[in-house]
Amino acid sequence: MDTFLALELIALALTGLLIWHSASTRGAAFTWMFFPGGALLGLVRENVVAQVAALNLYSYNPATFHLWIGAAPLILMVFWSYTIYLALTFSETIIGGDLIGGKRRVWIILLSMAFMASYACLNEAFAGIYPMVLWKFKPALTVWGSTPAMALWGYAGMALIFLLTLLLVYKLRIRTLYRVLIFCASVVVMIPLHLLWIAIFRLATSAIG
Amino acid sequence: MNSRDKRPNFFVREIPFIVLLVFWVIYAGIEIIRDRLDLLTSIIPTGLFIIAYIVVKLISKDQAGQK
Repeated sequence: MDTFLALELIALALTGLLIWHSASTRGAAFTWMFFPGGALLGLVRENVVAQVAALNLYSYNPATFHLWIGAAPLILMVFWSYTIYLALTFSETIIGGDLIGGKRRVWIILLSMAFMASYACLNEAFAGIYPMVLWKFKPALTVWGSTPAMALWGYAGMALIFLLTLLLVYKLRIRTLYRVLIFCASVVVMIPLHLLWIAIFRLATSAIG
Repeated sequence: MNSRDKRPNFFVREIPFIVLLVFWVIYAGIEIIRDRLDLLTSIIPTGLFIIAYIVVKLISKDQAGQK
């Protein structure tokens, strides 16, 4: 079996474990919002980024990925969910807080952003071996050699936007089903916000390039 | 009964740690095999989170033991 195909399957299986953890420790409502919402976000966002040429960001390398949904790899359906879930859980444990409960909420979100940036480093270094994305532009600012600084900023921003939206919708005093549907529908807001987040960084660093 | 009412076992509680550790080891392992290991990007940033997590868990376990 191809190594990267094995990795794609492992990532899917590990996400299954995280769903189990979420259902066991955070309850069904949170889990039904977080993972299907994250899957929809990944599916729509990555297809938009890969197919809308005007965004001038990147597309996915067909030579690396094996499983696809449209123009995006299948793995992207779980990628944002599992990275943000890891970020949230690690941050809550390290800080001793509770995002939903309201304990040290700001610090949890800030540390989650830092976690995501550090995960971006791990992922981008790995991309040196398996080129996952084909950049449509030359990043103006890179860190530690080849990692585009935009990736760190982008990952961190995704955690910020996703967690704030999740919190906002979770706190609505309506039935769980409606909260799940509203959170899933909110990807149409989260995606433009995240693209704006990236655009701000590109604009700010364009002078460097 | 709500799933949060019953405390899950150790394996379930530590799933996020196990998942991150598996990714970390696989990524670093492949980089080592391909002779492309980049300590500064692959190991240190996420490694700091892993260490912080372990330290916090050990401290909380120690404090629970003292009570």
